[in-house]
Amino acid sequence: MAAAPPSDFNGGKVESSEAGSKWLDAHYDPLASIHTFSACLALADLHGDGEYKLVVGDLGPGGQQPRLKVLKGPRVLTESPLSELPAAAVTFLKDHHEPRTPALALASGPCVYVYKNLRPYFKFSLPPLPVNPLEEDLWDQAKEDRIDPLTLKEMLEGIREKAEVPLSVQSLRFLQLELSEMEAFVNQHKSKAIKRQTVITTMTTLKKNLADEDAVSCLVLGTENRELLVLDPEAFTTLATMKLPSVPAFLEVSGQFDVEFRLAAACRNGNVYILRRDSKCPKYCIELSAQPVGLVRVHKVLVVGSNQDSLHGFTHKGKRLWTVQMPAAILTMNLLEQHSRGLQAVMAGLANGEVRIYQDKTLLNVIRTPDAVTSLCFGRFGREDNTLIMTTRGGGLIIKILKRTAVFVEGGGELGPPPAQATKLSVPRKTRLYVDQTLREREAGTAMHRTFQTDLYLLRLRAARAYVQALESSLSPVSATAREPLKLHAVVQGLGPTFKLTLHLQNTSAARPLLGLLVCFLHNEALYALPRAFFKVPLLVPGLSYPLETFVESLSDKGISDVIKVLVLREGQSAPLLSAHINMPVSEGLAAA
Amino acid sequence: MAEERHPTRTQFPASAETQKPHLKKAPEFPILEKQNWLIHLHYIRKDYEACKAIIKQQLQETQGLCEYAIYVQALIFRLEGNIQESLELFQTCAVLSPQCADNLKQVARSLFLLGKHKAATEVYNEAAKLNQKDWEIYHNLGVCYIYLKQFNKAQDQLHHALQLNRHDLTYIMLGKIHLLVGDLDKAMEIYKKAVEFSPENTELLTTLGLLYLQVGIYQKAFEHLGNALTYDPINYKAILAAGSMMQTHGDFDVALTKYRVVASAVPESPPLWNNIGMCFFGKKKYVAAISCLKRANYLAPFDWKILYNLGLVHLTMQQYASAFHFLSAAINFQPKMGELYMLLAVALTNLEDTENAKRAYDKAVCLDKYNPLINLNYAVLLYNQGEKRDALTQYQEMEKKVNLLKDSSSLEYDSEMVEMAQKLGAALQVGEALVWTKSVKDPKSKQRTTSTSKASGFQQPLGSNQALGQAMSSAAAYSKLPSVGKERSQMKNLS
Repeated sequence: MAAAPPSDFNGGKVESSEAGSKWLDAHYDPLASIHTFSACLALADLHGDGEYKLVVGDLGPGGQQPRLKVLKGPRVLTESPLSELPAAAVTFLKDHHEPRTPALALASGPCVYVYKNLRPYFKFSLPPLPVNPLEEDLWDQAKEDRIDPLTLKEMLEGIREKAEVPLSVQSLRFLQLELSEMEAFVNQHKSKAIKRQTVITTMTTLKKNLADEDAVSCLVLGTENRELLVLDPEAFTTLATMKLPSVPAFLEVSGQFDVEFRLAAACRNGNVYILRRDSKCPKYCIELSAQPVGLVRVHKVLVVGSNQDSLHGFTHKGKRLWTVQMPAAILTMNLLEQHSRGLQAVMAGLANGEVRIYQDKTLLNVIRTPDAVTSLCFGRFGREDNTLIMTTRGGGLIIKILKRTAVFVEGGGELGPPPAQATKLSVPRKTRLYVDQTLREREAGTAMHRTFQTDLYLLRLRAARAYVQALESSLSPVSATAREPLKLHAVVQGLGPTFKLTLHLQNTSAARPLLGLLVCFLHNEALYALPRAFFKVPLLVPGLSYPLETFVESLSDKGISDVIKVLVLREGQSAPLLSAHINMPVSEGLAAA
Repeated sequence: MAEERHPTRTQFPASAETQKPHLKKAPEFPILEKQNWLIHLHYIRKDYEACKAIIKQQLQETQGLCEYAIYVQALIFRLEGNIQESLELFQTCAVLSPQCADNLKQVARSLFLLGKHKAATEVYNEAAKLNQKDWEIYHNLGVCYIYLKQFNKAQDQLHHALQLNRHDLTYIMLGKIHLLVGDLDKAMEIYKKAVEFSPENTELLTTLGLLYLQVGIYQKAFEHLGNALTYDPINYKAILAAGSMMQTHGDFDVALTKYRVVASAVPESPPLWNNIGMCFFGKKKYVAAISCLKRANYLAPFDWKILYNLGLVHLTMQQYASAFHFLSAAINFQPKMGELYMLLAVALTNLEDTENAKRAYDKAVCLDKYNPLINLNYAVLLYNQGEKRDALTQYQEMEKKVNLLKDSSSLEYDSEMVEMAQKLGAALQVGEALVWTKSVKDPKSKQRTTSTSKASGFQQPLGSNQALGQAMSSAAAYSKLPSVGKERSQMKNLS
């Protein structure tokens, strides 16, 4: 194939494992024990000394020991335990004071913890949600013992069925209780004011009024009760609240809060909602019909990764631009921004241990990693501008540096025919014998055909004869007569010398039960002994299978076996209705002795 | 709200409160949705083990009140195939928040997967009352109605879904309904609209291409299949269909190259090996053709098209005894096709069983209305047997068919067949004038075309008017009538 060699060449360019790789391997520690998501990774010059540090909100192994880690180079600089799992970590400039060191915000549970110079500085808690006034009223009554627990339960259930505002945890818990526990529960909790609290699911930053790199930014929070909050960077008051139809999982913001901004929120119902500054509710909606696993904005294109292994590009108005299929499930996504060359691209960590870099739908680069990458982050780290930080499923940490000479070429990805086109077809080979037989058939085809036809007729004749004979002497295990439709099959169990013989007798007629049937065994009395060689069959109800058991004793010690014939007869008739031949197994019990 | 942060925050700030006149301190309730985001993140990245661990912990902590944890647990159960369990959990969710349409949707979905379509439609209707703007509800309702065989209702629901929001899936389902009813034109309309809406969806492109192929608009078919292949070069349905079209035009080498891709993707596809076999047949590599066809036959022993092709190749190889077996097997599966009986008759003639050959020809003539080849071959056999009168009848029958076909379509005839017909006409010494005029006209037009595509006298994709479900295999299961090989062997007898 003329097309095959260039495709190989292209394939080679994309690979990072080869000598012509665009990346320098700076660090790889498979045992770094960092378990986190892309949202919990941030790079910032936290001390204002020009050394960029990596902030990791670490969930800990199995999500058990949440910690805040700060890494300088490959080394952990500080490590402090967290009370709850971190949902997101971002760094942002909160004021104009010099030196301009960024603050670190860590969202965890219902709170945002703000650190300055790596010291706890401020804690913001989400405002409690309004409680249902009816519910509140009920608990007030309970407090004054004006209502008995049963009525309380009924009333609360009524609220749950209809009300817009959901119940508090206290009421929900109460509704689950048994009658006996209610009294105690009410006494224990009645004095407490009911409250509803929500948690932060995602967080990002939004420039306040300037587009500069070092402009002051607001925090944007997504909450479990389907709201987006924009916080003032200095006073930590809520500047704006927006309502979403579902719980946001990923956020992507562009613009400035005071001027104009666009906010994209990928939600749990599989939709991406796009909001603008003046909109209190979503302006556009992208229905993915799959779950989004990542949301990245590249210039003006929103890139959404779906859990159906594909990347989609959308305009900021929600129009689909392109779709790219991935070879495996996407685990995480992030933005790659190379300031020196003005390049923006999407990185996607895949379940097959690849990190793919796409600019629009063209593949720029593939990095193979020893383990599946679960979080990604690109930017300035230490004193190096273009550093890629990856953490793996097993808790490993990989740091790679983009070579200064490296240029991502468009069209350097997969082009041309798929590689499978170059492989040869595996056509089954034919042997010499086959060819010889072919030649023989050509010479003597007619004779072969005739012989075959003659033999075929003979075979058919024999089969027909045997069949007729079987029918005539009722040798088949299925009764052919219309009056007694019966089916019989037999099972022999055991190793010997005693076997258990089970006959399954079934009446296959639609409605008529059968009565007055007999079973008779014919066997070689020198070889086998049966306790009853002849017995009556109970009434057979249509459809049911009746197991009739009997024991067979093997008498011979010579390791030989014989056939036992089973005949099913109608009372008063000598010709059997049906019969079965049971090939008895050799008695192993005696053979061993 | 905002407060100074304590350096170390205790888990339960309530415990620091002042003493209350109760015997026991009321414990603080954990926030139910505390770890929903984590469950969700693990769920979407398909890390189900981690997900289940968190769900278990979360449910223990909240005593089974965390709705989202139950919801995801149910989703995972469903993915693992435990549909009944998932249904029960979704029902629990629906109890916890009865106003949520999403829970009802999932209950209905589980019912649907359990095959309880009737019950599913009821739940979907319930959900539609809660959320009237959700295309998914109407789409799924439509799908349920398809399974309940209420196609009109299904169409209404699907159109409703399209009005709310357009999705490829809805178009595909709508197209399917039209195909199930057998309305090809409407189905094509739908698919055309769908392709307009999402021009990069390879499934839509392929299906539309196959529909064009069925209707016989080859140019458009090829265009759409080609488009599908540019977006997804390893779409094996499109490759098979496009390959079979290439074969029709005699581009066997190109078709074979394309098939290599399929061979690595779906190595056990019977139509693929059938097509590869027929490519080799076209290239006159008969042994390779037989190998491939036998593999196809091994993979799909009940496919009569493969057996037909095997019979054909064996006839060409002059292995008449083998050809007889394959053809008679094919007839057992497809007893309504005249050409099969004709091939069987040719095999029988060569096996010197004239009696049965005649009977096979009779059957073929009786089943087929359009193929003049059958009558011609029959006439040759009769003539060789010295039954001139009957041969003449068949000959005239053939002329009738040829005239009929000339009027209705511009089918080309194989030059060898025309030559044969002329010779026979001369030998029978009847209707000479008629034959000659016709045959003088015929070869001129023929020779032009036959020079470009060799021996394209009688090629037609078999079974092109089958339902779309089989369209792939039918477009793929391509075969060729043996006009050349067979007549040559008979010519020897004649001269």
